Amino acid sequence: MSTATEQIATTRADGSRVNPGRGRGRRKVEGVFYLFLLPVLALFTLSITLPAVMGIFFSFTDSVGFGEFNVIGFTNYAVIFSDPAILRAYGFTIGVALCSVVLVNVVALALALGLTSKIKGKTALRTIFVLPMVVSGIIIAFVFRFIFANSLPAAATALGIGPLEESLVSNPSLAWVTIVLVTAFQAAPPAMLIYIAGLMTIPRDVYEASAIDGARPWQQFRHITLPLVSGYVLINMIIGFKDFLSTYEIVVGLTDGGPGTSTVSVAMAIFRGFERGDYAYQMANSTIFFLITLAIALIQLRVTRGRARF
Amino acid sequence: MRREASDDAHRLTRRALLGGGALGALAAGLSGCGAGGGAGGAQEITLYQNKREAIDFFRGLVSEFNEAHSGRIRVIHDTTPGSLSAQFARSTPPALGAYNYNFEMSRFQERGELSDLSDLAEKADIRPAVQDLVDQYPTYPGRTSVIPYSIMGSGVLYNQEVFERHGLEVPTTYSEFLELCGTLRDAGVTPIYQTSGDAWTLAQGVTDYAIGGMLDVAGFFERLRGQGDAAGPDAEVSFSHAFREPFERALEIHSFANSNAASRKYGDGNVAFAQGDAAMYFQGPWALTEIDTINPDARIGVFPLPMTEDPADRKIRVNLDLALWIPESIPHPDAARELLDFLITPELADEYNQANLGFGVRNDSPPIADPRMNDLQGYVDRAAFYQGASVSIPRTILYENYVQGVMTGDSVEGMLRTLDEDWARLARRQ
Repeated sequence: MSTATEQIATTRADGSRVNPGRGRGRRKVEGVFYLFLLPVLALFTLSITLPAVMGIFFSFTDSVGFGEFNVIGFTNYAVIFSDPAILRAYGFTIGVALCSVVLVNVVALALALGLTSKIKGKTALRTIFVLPMVVSGIIIAFVFRFIFANSLPAAATALGIGPLEESLVSNPSLAWVTIVLVTAFQAAPPAMLIYIAGLMTIPRDVYEASAIDGARPWQQFRHITLPLVSGYVLINMIIGFKDFLSTYEIVVGLTDGGPGTSTVSVAMAIFRGFERGDYAYQMANSTIFFLITLAIALIQLRVTRGRARF
Repeated sequence: MRREASDDAHRLTRRALLGGGALGALAAGLSGCGAGGGAGGAQEITLYQNKREAIDFFRGLVSEFNEAHSGRIRVIHDTTPGSLSAQFARSTPPALGAYNYNFEMSRFQERGELSDLSDLAEKADIRPAVQDLVDQYPTYPGRTSVIPYSIMGSGVLYNQEVFERHGLEVPTTYSEFLELCGTLRDAGVTPIYQTSGDAWTLAQGVTDYAIGGMLDVAGFFERLRGQGDAAGPDAEVSFSHAFREPFERALEIHSFANSNAASRKYGDGNVAFAQGDAAMYFQGPWALTEIDTINPDARIGVFPLPMTEDPADRKIRVNLDLALWIPESIPHPDAARELLDFLITPELADEYNQANLGFGVRNDSPPIADPRMNDLQGYVDRAAFYQGASVSIPRTILYENYVQGVMTGDSVEGMLRTLDEDWARLARRQ
């Protein structure tokens, strides 16, 4: 065993180990490997990078998406920062993303805990809870729209629950709640699957040992389960937050940005810009959105590197 | 917002920009494939027409045209509801559009994407008052690019049975209208059915009628555009000033609506009105088809919403339901012109309008025959009409949503201020 280790690794004077095999690989790379990268690189450049660069260019014009245009410098950017509709869209989107991330992770972790414990019909239940993943978001949103606008008020009227008699989706100050709920309904299953995978990596004997020491279920959860799945919590937070920032189809299906403009998300504003002849302006908006997302991604990456345990 | 003809020479086009790069070559290659000659050397052109109720009518015309021009021209009838902007952005616009015309569509003309059809327009013998509807929106210097085909007139739809049961007459002044609403409400009848769940139904209905009935819509927007980016709540011409009273009245009218209006949508409204749940309904003739399907026995009439105390001020809301245009750069412009020439044949246009409750656009168009709509013929004849404010505001400003907000409790003053500021911001950048 020790001779084998000496053959593939040498110990440097400062104690850190160097793997000579990997070092050799780094020095001499066959040119053909770059060829393997080429198709993907070309596709990525043509379908992502180039359009993005063109979009950034158009953000300095007054283009409506077709036809003649003038280059107008930074005017679009100057206007955006005084546009309450755009600022409100950012506030709404970030708020909904934060609430959704919390709700999704609480629900998903609870479900995962239930579905990894010793209960009957575990497989069947897992299948049922994963079903929302199979249905497309816009369909889920339309179904829930009907429930919130018709079924729920009807049920509330029959049962005499006053506050719910009015449709939630047509209430400007509560419509966002329905978006968070439906987002959670759709996004909880994939997060739950990640948590189930995470929970299954925790060895049973840790729980047994703690049980012998007299730990109660809550203490086990607080001091064993939670620390040991913290890496998965971070993964779910990052994936979730990034997804929820670009929330679109659920809003379209549920409220279409209404009532009024209370639920217009950033992605919706950008898309509407193209449809409604404000292409260049919303290109400026998407450039800003891109920078914000990039910043968030970098911050999250840093945090993950520091804390996550895999 | 409106550009000067003089900076034409300095303007860029997206196509020119793309043309420089390899992507331009690729796009040209692709569009070449898409629009290239069809089987047997026939020129293939696309007619873009997706108004649902009219699809069968145009399908018939297209096959008739294809038979007559067999082997030479083949028309493909594109009825997919979708984004015209995307087709123009890809540089593959349809050869001929038969499409709704309003401020949104005028952008294609203003940015130089539609060809000049002055000669065909002359041939089509369009009434000046109707052609004027096109010119109320931004145009391209020196071109007549849009030929009206059909206009739709709308007012207040009312249930004649309900009116008769309560001995009511069609109101001719605003105070008569309010009185009528009060009488209906006292009798336990819902005076007006509103569907606030669909923002557009409010914007094209109660607020458009209130604004159009009180002020000169086209003149207002012309003066507003003339101000350029000097617009704003305190400018000489502003929404805050001009729209305040119409909106206050719209709210007054809306107070006579069904109590669950906030959550009702267009489809709900058609069903409820067809079944006689309310006496009046603010929708155009497009709703009549559906109402007729739900309850063929409903006796429906229409009157313009009176907004002043002078019956002579009454006007109806119109929209260019269909207008024809040919894009500037298409592979077979001559074939497209032949198709357009065929479509504007008076017999065909008249047949279309009679079948779709539309009013003719020519100097010699026959009056509308449908009994539900012919009360409006007189208004069309003397051009007592306006195009709605809701279709005169660029859709990037979320006017419909603003209207919905006001009808569900937002302040009128605050909303109009926002509208003015949005308008000024847009004028700054476009």
